[in-house]
Amino acid sequence: MSVLSQLNVIQVSGLTKRVSTLEGSLTILSDINFSVKSGESVAIVGASGSGKSTLLSLLAGLDVASEGDVHLDGEALSTLDEEARARVRAEKIGFVFQSFMLVQSLTALENVMLPAELAGDHDAKAQAIELLDKVGLSHRLEHYPSQLSGGEQQRVAIARAFIGSPKILFADEPSANLDSKNGHLIETLLFDLNKQNGTTLVLVTHDEQLAKQCQHIIHIEGGQLEKISQGVEANVG
Amino acid sequence: MWVKLAFKLFSREFRRGELTIIFAAIALAVLTVFSLSSITERIGLNIAQKSSDFIAADRRLSSNHAFDPQVLTKASEFGLETAKMLYFDSMLFANDELILGSVKATTETYPLRGTITVKDSLTSKDYEVDVGPEAGSVWLSEGLFYTLNVKIGDKVELGAGIFNVSKVLVKEPDAPFFSLSGNKRVLISYEDIPTTQAVQAGSRVFHRLLFSGSEQQLSDYYAWLKPQLKSNQNWEGIKDRQSPLGNNLDRAERFLLLAGLFGIMLAAVAMAVSAKRYCERQYDPVAMMKTLGGSRKVIRNIYLLHLSLVTTFSIVAGLAIGFILQTIGADYLATFMGTELPQAGVRPWLLSSLIGLICAMMFSLKPLLDLFDIPPLRVLRRNLGDTLAISRLHLALSFMTIFVLMWLFSGEIITTLILFVSTLLVIAILFGISRLLFAAGRSLGLRPGSSWSLAIATLQKRANANSIQLISFALAIKLMLFLVVLKTDIIADWQMQVPPDAPNMFIINIAEDEVDPIKQFFTDNNIAHEAFYPVFSGRVDAVNGEEYARRVSKQEGEEKDEDARQGVNREPNLTWLESLPEGNEITEGQWFSDEAKTGDEIEVSVFDGWQETLDLKLGDTITLLVNEQPIKAKVTSFRSVDWGTLKPNFVMILSPNMAGTVPVTYFSAAKLQDEHTKGISKLLQRYPTISMIDIKSQIEQAQSIIAQVSLAIGFVLSIVLISGALVLISQVQASLAERMQEVVILRTLGAKGRLIKLATLYEFMLLGAISGLVAAIVSDVALLVIQQQLFSIEGRLHPYIWLLGPFSGAVFVSTIGYFMVARTMRQNTQGLLRKIA
Repeated sequence: MSVLSQLNVIQVSGLTKRVSTLEGSLTILSDINFSVKSGESVAIVGASGSGKSTLLSLLAGLDVASEGDVHLDGEALSTLDEEARARVRAEKIGFVFQSFMLVQSLTALENVMLPAELAGDHDAKAQAIELLDKVGLSHRLEHYPSQLSGGEQQRVAIARAFIGSPKILFADEPSANLDSKNGHLIETLLFDLNKQNGTTLVLVTHDEQLAKQCQHIIHIEGGQLEKISQGVEANVG
Repeated sequence: MWVKLAFKLFSREFRRGELTIIFAAIALAVLTVFSLSSITERIGLNIAQKSSDFIAADRRLSSNHAFDPQVLTKASEFGLETAKMLYFDSMLFANDELILGSVKATTETYPLRGTITVKDSLTSKDYEVDVGPEAGSVWLSEGLFYTLNVKIGDKVELGAGIFNVSKVLVKEPDAPFFSLSGNKRVLISYEDIPTTQAVQAGSRVFHRLLFSGSEQQLSDYYAWLKPQLKSNQNWEGIKDRQSPLGNNLDRAERFLLLAGLFGIMLAAVAMAVSAKRYCERQYDPVAMMKTLGGSRKVIRNIYLLHLSLVTTFSIVAGLAIGFILQTIGADYLATFMGTELPQAGVRPWLLSSLIGLICAMMFSLKPLLDLFDIPPLRVLRRNLGDTLAISRLHLALSFMTIFVLMWLFSGEIITTLILFVSTLLVIAILFGISRLLFAAGRSLGLRPGSSWSLAIATLQKRANANSIQLISFALAIKLMLFLVVLKTDIIADWQMQVPPDAPNMFIINIAEDEVDPIKQFFTDNNIAHEAFYPVFSGRVDAVNGEEYARRVSKQEGEEKDEDARQGVNREPNLTWLESLPEGNEITEGQWFSDEAKTGDEIEVSVFDGWQETLDLKLGDTITLLVNEQPIKAKVTSFRSVDWGTLKPNFVMILSPNMAGTVPVTYFSAAKLQDEHTKGISKLLQRYPTISMIDIKSQIEQAQSIIAQVSLAIGFVLSIVLISGALVLISQVQASLAERMQEVVILRTLGAKGRLIKLATLYEFMLLGAISGLVAAIVSDVALLVIQQQLFSIEGRLHPYIWLLGPFSGAVFVSTIGYFMVARTMRQNTQGLLRKIA
């Protein structure tokens, strides 16, 4: 394992994604290259349909690239099968989604415990309670998602994302489904927890203001990496 | 660790009602199969027992010659109980009166099944005993008391012996239902045969051995006996194809079988729909779990455990509810019948559990496999995986499973095939029709903002999903209509067999000169009666000059089935008639021509059941021995006979030119009321040779069985109706998620609740009405075929269901749909938004 890859918790090289359509092959992402160091925060921005969600899915190993590769904490995703990628996600990745994606039949506490339980972690409860306390939901442990507001559901999702102390956190438009007040609350929470845990944050958003809170901003347009700019955090740092 | 998570998820999903429909569908399939098969089995066992009562045993062996003693000793070795009987005619003498009696001598074990009804005096009440007279005593039928002018305690001479008259013989379990010797029956102990000295070498006697034991013992014994049976020995089972009871129960069993098949089919559809729906609703959690690093193996284990748990719980629940239902049902039937129903064996338990298991596994298999294949990417691309929803493999698997379930339940490949193929045909037709209807709907002009427009627009938008809904609705409505109509028809047909004015007394043995006075008696007392039939007894001696005995032995090698040979040796009652009696139909040949009515050549019309047994064809000449006088008759027709009626039926009817050639007695039937009892007693005293056979008990029994089987059918029907409703609910629920999204959109856009509710109501009403109409048309045609083919009822169309189908479909479907959607309407838009997020 090279020194570079040790430093770069995410290493993207020549990443291309093509899909076949009725009209022939369509290139969604073309030759994307960048790297993210451990503990950094990165925003991926672009217009609708620019390919930013596809990029996120490839980075997280939810989808496989047509060409190129993604190294996550030194592991080349292209060499792994679905099961091995799931293992990588279980060990190293946390997620926050636009539509919360909570399991409706589990309580807030159980939803937070779910990744740990799937990984066979027996002592997840204390950590889950602590995380829910951090997101301000210690009074909502036994509530089901349908009994929580949108903002509360997303806070549960954030708590879930941090259980097991992942190295990398992927967030897909985390505040897009929320009103501005709740959205802002969620964003602050996300960045705070990220700092506390020293997690690498990769955030997909079309919100320029939110993006600027990250250290680096990757601009995607028409499936190509247009530029990488510095965010507010980087300037401050 | 996953086990704990799996149990947690399972208990939550169960509480949330996600698994309720799957649970209910499996439980329903199990309880349908369990309750139907156990009730059918219990009634069947009861009938077998009852039939055994009719022959006073489980099997009997009859012959004109004495049996090898080994036949009896071997039976005991096989663990069978046995009794010996001997029939012979002998002179009875008392008070200077002399009459020829029909004597039956029985060993002390007689009757092995059933009881003998006796009275202690002519005027006292009758009661039942389970053993015959002791040595030295004689029991006489009522007519003999009048003829011989004796009373209980008197002595009578029978042959060379003197006997003490100890009881009035009212009814023997195995007495012929209709016999010319009805009023001259004498019962004595087997030990007394030598005392009478009536049985000498060459005497005309009839030997009979009775056997009872388990089916296994009986069949083992028969296996030993069969190779040694002589041509003049007749082995009889309990199945009597010609009993009205057997006929009706056969029909009831067919109905129960059919209803069971429909119940399974409906439960299977509910199961298939709900399993698919459940799995679809798990797409997101599974994608989520995969995204969060859950391995395929863990996810598979979680859901397989869910399936095993829901299957186990629902099978146990199905068995428990089925057991309770069948116990209540059987208890009620038993009280109604005034008898106890024997317990069913293990078959219903095993069969219903197996069917539940197959149902659960096969219908969930493909949706589950699809579920495991859901890509984690679905968390980002929300519609990913939706294309997996309809698969040909799932359809093929589901159809195959339904077929296997039906076959397993019925054990009848032909019935299963007919039902299955016709259902496939119905589905194909409905699919075509629904496509056409929805396509045609598109050209209708729509007025924006009206509930009707919204309803039609929604119908068109979901044309594909609606086709499937339409088929399910129509199938459910079809099966329900089908059974309701069939039940009504079967019961009406049964009731016609025993109309309120049906005769309840047969009057037999009427001498020619007694016909007019008896007719006069009936007229004077205003008693409704049937025609007076001439009756005589004869034995089939030869066919085309070939002796009958040899003819039977020739058939020995042809593997004649046990039932087919039954009853041929007996002397049937014969008659001659001008016209074909009611309930008879010519199946081959012609009814007597005018020539046959006046000419020299005697013709005979034979019951078609005997055609095969005697290997007869048109033009054959049968020689009948009537009072040892040979009568030759040419077979000119074969008839089907409706043994389901309690009217006099004849195996052979001879042409009217028989009149005057043989001595006859007359036979009639009348409807007697209690107030006629005194007059009848006087009539019997005046004409002691005539005999009355009370068939009130038979009529009552038939009526009680009709009522009881109708009840059982009603019970089964309600189970099938529940299945049907479950299918409808599962279908509506399947489309609820999509509907909720629409409701949210419409509500968000400011649509009034009333508009949405009405649009939903109209949409379901239209769906229900279309399904109902198609269902009515298809069921009516199917009914026509099934009634004729399976139930031998005259097939006819039922115009009322053409209205009932669409009406009940519209009401039923719209009510269920409306309430399920209205429930979601009560929540505020924000709440709904949160739910579908």
